[in-house]
Amino acid sequence: MDELALDIEDLAKRYPTGVEALRGVSLRIKPGELFGLLGPNGAGKSTLIHCTTGLAQPTGGSIHVFGHDATGDYGEARQAVGLAPQEPNLDWFLTVAETLDYHAGYFGMPKRERRQRTEELLETFSLTEKRDERTRTLSGGMKRRLILARAMMHRPRLLILDEPTAGVDVELRLELWHYVQRINQEGTSILLTTHYLEEAEQLCDRIAFINEGQIVGRGTSAELAERFGVDSLEDAYLALVGRKELSRSHAEVAAP
Amino acid sequence: MSAAQIRFATLWRREVNRFMKIKKQTLGAPLLETFLYISVFGAALGSRIKELHGIEYVVFVIPGLIMMSFAINSFANNSSSILQQKFQGAIQDQLSSPASPLELLLAFTFGGFMRGLIVAGLTFIAASLLVDLPVDHILVLIPSLFLVGFFFSQLGVLTGVRAEQFDDVAFVQTFVLTPLIFLGGVFYSATLLPQPFETLTHFNPIYYMINLVRYGFVGFSEVSIPLSLLALTAATAAIFAVNLRLFSRGYRLRD
Repeated sequence: MDELALDIEDLAKRYPTGVEALRGVSLRIKPGELFGLLGPNGAGKSTLIHCTTGLAQPTGGSIHVFGHDATGDYGEARQAVGLAPQEPNLDWFLTVAETLDYHAGYFGMPKRERRQRTEELLETFSLTEKRDERTRTLSGGMKRRLILARAMMHRPRLLILDEPTAGVDVELRLELWHYVQRINQEGTSILLTTHYLEEAEQLCDRIAFINEGQIVGRGTSAELAERFGVDSLEDAYLALVGRKELSRSHAEVAAP
Repeated sequence: MSAAQIRFATLWRREVNRFMKIKKQTLGAPLLETFLYISVFGAALGSRIKELHGIEYVVFVIPGLIMMSFAINSFANNSSSILQQKFQGAIQDQLSSPASPLELLLAFTFGGFMRGLIVAGLTFIAASLLVDLPVDHILVLIPSLFLVGFFFSQLGVLTGVRAEQFDDVAFVQTFVLTPLIFLGGVFYSATLLPQPFETLTHFNPIYYMINLVRYGFVGFSEVSIPLSLLALTAATAAIFAVNLRLFSRGYRLRD
């Protein structure tokens, strides 16, 4: 049997401030699966991603990427993961082509292969004309494309997309959806976090809802709707997450 | 090349590439500054103070200036590079790579070391064109300069990792390093100072570094060379161990 692309078991993350961002999260993503993680701001999505990619240190539980322990055997685990973060985190000193080349170098890719891969991805993401421009001069949409291209540069087996379409126009969103579907069809497993329910519904094989650091529901879009006795994913999401948020905001308003 | 070698070479190349892209600021400005010091202290003051301990004044000063340019540039490069990358979030690309804490630390360290070496090397060449600068003890000079560069590169890394704003870096450079360097005897001999300042100078670690480098060039020192080398080696090893621990823990780098 193939090893799971991502196997998270009882993951906990408590910050020194005392905030518990993750409280016993368990999640399994099969090889080749496109998995959606949905939840409101502050639910723990980015913390889960940071723990998986080494940007945060879990305080409990385990994470395995294709069988490699993400903390103990981090070299192999990180080699298998590509991350496109929510916030553009590009190096202002580098050009577009350098950004891709350096990233691949950090993952140990030889020079000739780096060159070929850079050309390939510049072309795929319509960035060839911008190759010598510094990243800080790029538009928001171009930055998004570059971040996605960078995440794919070292041919990861698991691609993590943290709200890749947040704040982009409809045209670019559709373009990014197309890329994501294509990458997935080529065999890359994908973990996608998003605020857009229609995005998750359209792209993802399975979905999990996360709220207040815990997984509160998981399954296909139809399974989630059926389990909560509602018509759509949106209603299921509201049943699990939204109404609590709503009731909490009412309580805050009502408080003296 | 192995994957680990490619990774390290790329991390290091990124650091060198950064300062080469802004070389007017990172190489040009420090060179001009050193040239101005040589002009003011060497030519102007040197016309009044002919010799110190039997050494032409400008020749007495230049080893300290070379050490100072190596130290300040190594420090400034690493502290600002790390803080800038933390600000931009760009450091995440390196932190989420398979690079080990040791690889990351050494790559940052050698970036600053390289900048310090280039500025110090150019200062040496320029000074050699202006005055007859001897190199009396090359076997002391090379390890001394290496240790000075490595120590201040490490100090730059430590400051950059700890810093949360640019003010934190500026504070260390302006209020700690610059006074220690200037009061460490770059431009004078501590034996000329009245008490208690002569004694106080002996508590300044940079005084020993300046003397090591000066001994390497002109063969004159006010301190024990073996003891100074030993102390500098121990201090460099200690700060390296602290940094490696911080990188391994992800202190102020990882959540």
